[in-house]
Amino acid sequence: MLTNTAKSSNLALCPQCHKLNDYPAYADKKEKVQCVRCLGKFYQRKPYSLQYTLAWNVAALIAFIPANLYPIMIIYSLGIGDPSTILSGIGQFVDQGLYPIAAIIFTASIIVPLLKIIGLFLLVYRVYTGVRLRPEKHSKFYHALEFLGPWSMLDVFVVTLLVAVVELGFVTSVEAGPAINYFTLTVIFTMIAANSFDPRLLWDKKQNSETFKEENDNR
Amino acid sequence: MNTHSDNKYLIACHQCDALFDKPELKQGQSAKCTRCGCTLAERKVDSIERSYNWSLAGILLLMPAILLPIMGVTLAGQYHHASLFDCILVLIDRGFFMIAVLVFLFAIAVPVVRLFGAFYLTYSFKFNKLKPSLLYFFRAFHHLDNWAMLNVFMLGIVVSMYKLIDDTEVSVNMGLLAFILLLISSTMAIAALDHDYIWQELEAEFAD
Repeated sequence: MLTNTAKSSNLALCPQCHKLNDYPAYADKKEKVQCVRCLGKFYQRKPYSLQYTLAWNVAALIAFIPANLYPIMIIYSLGIGDPSTILSGIGQFVDQGLYPIAAIIFTASIIVPLLKIIGLFLLVYRVYTGVRLRPEKHSKFYHALEFLGPWSMLDVFVVTLLVAVVELGFVTSVEAGPAINYFTLTVIFTMIAANSFDPRLLWDKKQNSETFKEENDNR
Repeated sequence: MNTHSDNKYLIACHQCDALFDKPELKQGQSAKCTRCGCTLAERKVDSIERSYNWSLAGILLLMPAILLPIMGVTLAGQYHHASLFDCILVLIDRGFFMIAVLVFLFAIAVPVVRLFGAFYLTYSFKFNKLKPSLLYFFRAFHHLDNWAMLNVFMLGIVVSMYKLIDDTEVSVNMGLLAFILLLISSTMAIAALDHDYIWQELEAEFAD
C-alpha cells in the first residue's frame, strides 16, 4: 500500500517547529529551504544521513575498545591502588551479591553501547540495501536506541561521584582512570550517530521498492 | 499536487513523513500516526500555566541542588561530602578536563538553560509579551532535547550509594532532596510544554 507522504507531495516538514513547507521540485535534494514559520533553514531529508551515521558509529566502536581495556577507576586504600575496568567493576558487584546493581551497570555500560552500535550498523545496512526492511519494526527499534542513549552515561556519573565523595586522604580515595575519557566519547559518538540517522529513510526505501514492484507487475 | 494555500490543513508525521489532514484537537487529546504509531500532534491541558509554575519551582531549586552536598561518607572517623558542583571541581583538579566539561554540560548547563528557557517562554505567553526573537529562541531550544541527563545522574547517585554502603558509612544530605525535587520539576516543566500550541501562537503573531 502506498501512503501519501510529504515528500511525494513536494512538501517538507520543518524538523524544529513541525510546520509543513512547500519543497519545490526544482530544489535539489541537497538544497536548504527556509521554514515560513520559524525561519530556520532545513533539508527535506537529512543529507548524507547514512554516511554520517556510519562514520560516527565507526568512531564510537573504535573508542569503545580502549574504554574497556584501560581501568575506569582506581581505588586507593591505605596507599595501595586497586584499578578496575568496567567489566571487573561489574564483577565486584556480582562477588558482593549486588545482582540488581550489577545488572543495571552491565546494561548501561556494555549492552546499551554495543546494542546501539550494532543496531545502527544494521539499520544503515537495511536502508542501504533494502533487504528485509520492515519500517514498522525498525522505526520502533530506532526509537528505543535513541531513548537508551543517554543512560550509558551512568558509569561516568558514578565514577565522577565516587571521585568527589570518597576523598579521605590516606585511608581511602578514588581516582578516575583513562578509560573514562574513551567511554564518554563512545557515548557521545553513539548519540550523535543516532541523531544523524533519519528514520524517514526507512519508509522512503520501502515505498521506493514497492513502487518498483508495482511497475514491474503492471508490465 | 498541493498548492501553497492548503498546507495549513495538512500535517506530516515527523518520523515517517506520512501526510494527514490536520486534526482538530481539544485540550488533552492527541493524534497518532496510523503508519508508524508515533504522536502526530497533541494539545496539552493548561500547558502554559503548568509549565510556568514547574519551571519557576525548578529555578528556585537550582542553587540548593547544585551547591548543597548530595552525600557524604564516614570511614575511620573521617568524614567527607560532595555536591554536584564539587564533582566538577574535583574532575578539573585531577586533570579530566573533557569529562569535567561534559558532566558540567549534561548535568548542570543544559538542564539550567532548559529550565530558564521554559520559564522565559511561558512567562512571555502568560503576560502576553511575545517578541519575534522568541521564534529563534524556541527553535534553538529544541536542540537541547537529547542532552539533559539529570535523570541519569540520579540513577548514578543511587548506584554509587550502593557501591559505598558496603564498606563505609554513607550519609544523605539536603542536596539530594533538592536534586530529586529539581529533577521532578524540570521534567514536569518540559513535559507540560505544548510545542504545537506555542508554534501556532507564534505563527499567528508573527507570520508575514
